Amino acid sequence: MTDQLTEDLKDRLSLIESMIAEGRRTTESWGWTFVLWGVAYYIAIAWSTFGHGTMAWPVTMIAASVLTFGLASRKASRHPETTLGRSMMAIWLGMGISVFIVMLSLGLSGRADLHIAVAIIGAMLGSANATSSIILKWKMQFACALVWWTATAASCFISEIQAGIVFLVAIFFCQIVFGIYCMIAEARKNKSRGARQGASHA
Amino acid sequence: MPDLPELNPVIHGKLRLALLSLLSSVEEAEFTWLRTKTGSTDGNLGAQLLKLEEAGYVGVEKKFVQRKPQTLYRMTESGREALTEYVQALKQLLGAAIDA
Repeated sequence: MTDQLTEDLKDRLSLIESMIAEGRRTTESWGWTFVLWGVAYYIAIAWSTFGHGTMAWPVTMIAASVLTFGLASRKASRHPETTLGRSMMAIWLGMGISVFIVMLSLGLSGRADLHIAVAIIGAMLGSANATSSIILKWKMQFACALVWWTATAASCFISEIQAGIVFLVAIFFCQIVFGIYCMIAEARKNKSRGARQGASHA
Repeated sequence: MPDLPELNPVIHGKLRLALLSLLSSVEEAEFTWLRTKTGSTDGNLGAQLLKLEEAGYVGVEKKFVQRKPQTLYRMTESGREALTEYVQALKQLLGAAIDA
């Protein structure tokens, strides 16, 4: 068997691997949702702190949900449905609904407290990030889960102001920075795909 | 020396191999998505998908979504089996090459 033929066989194996990975890897294209929700949290915090708005959280969260759903629907129409994609959607949708119900109920009942809010949101986001990272084998996302869990634990022992600061820092790293990182990774991947164009001939 | 397996000629074409590999990782995919992922032209992609469809490796469904035509491709069970056999044959051939 010639070296050329061996190389051809290896090329085909790597082509199979890269195409399967191409179909499965869709998570990076969701970086914008992390940024969007990070900004939404900041708006809600600023509004409720300085604007004295009792409806700050529900209004901001509903607006962010509608925006996410609208943009995601447009994106989803251009992507195929995968079991992995549906699993990811289930995790984040379940987490989002849970946080929304708890926070809305706490807000309406007048029992909302910053310690509890940071603990609940941190635990939920930590859980969702950890589950996603384990499924996707993505260490960077697991680091986000660790940050959220740390914020959750810390919020139970520190003052309200400190809990607020911890929450702002966790949002910055796990939503804004991580989201931008995902978007850059997606842009790089698209660029390299454009340059590759390897499988265009039969 | 054991007999070396033959590679399935329907799958062996690079674009057809790429298409089957892509379809193996998703439930179903649109023509436009497959075109983007493979960087192929409409004509070439359509011809190769037709060959896979004729071999029974790919199923096709045409429908309208918001009045726009949409063509969805899905890998069949025999397509999945054929790809698995192809990969095994490929590995066997490579193993033989290394041993030689």
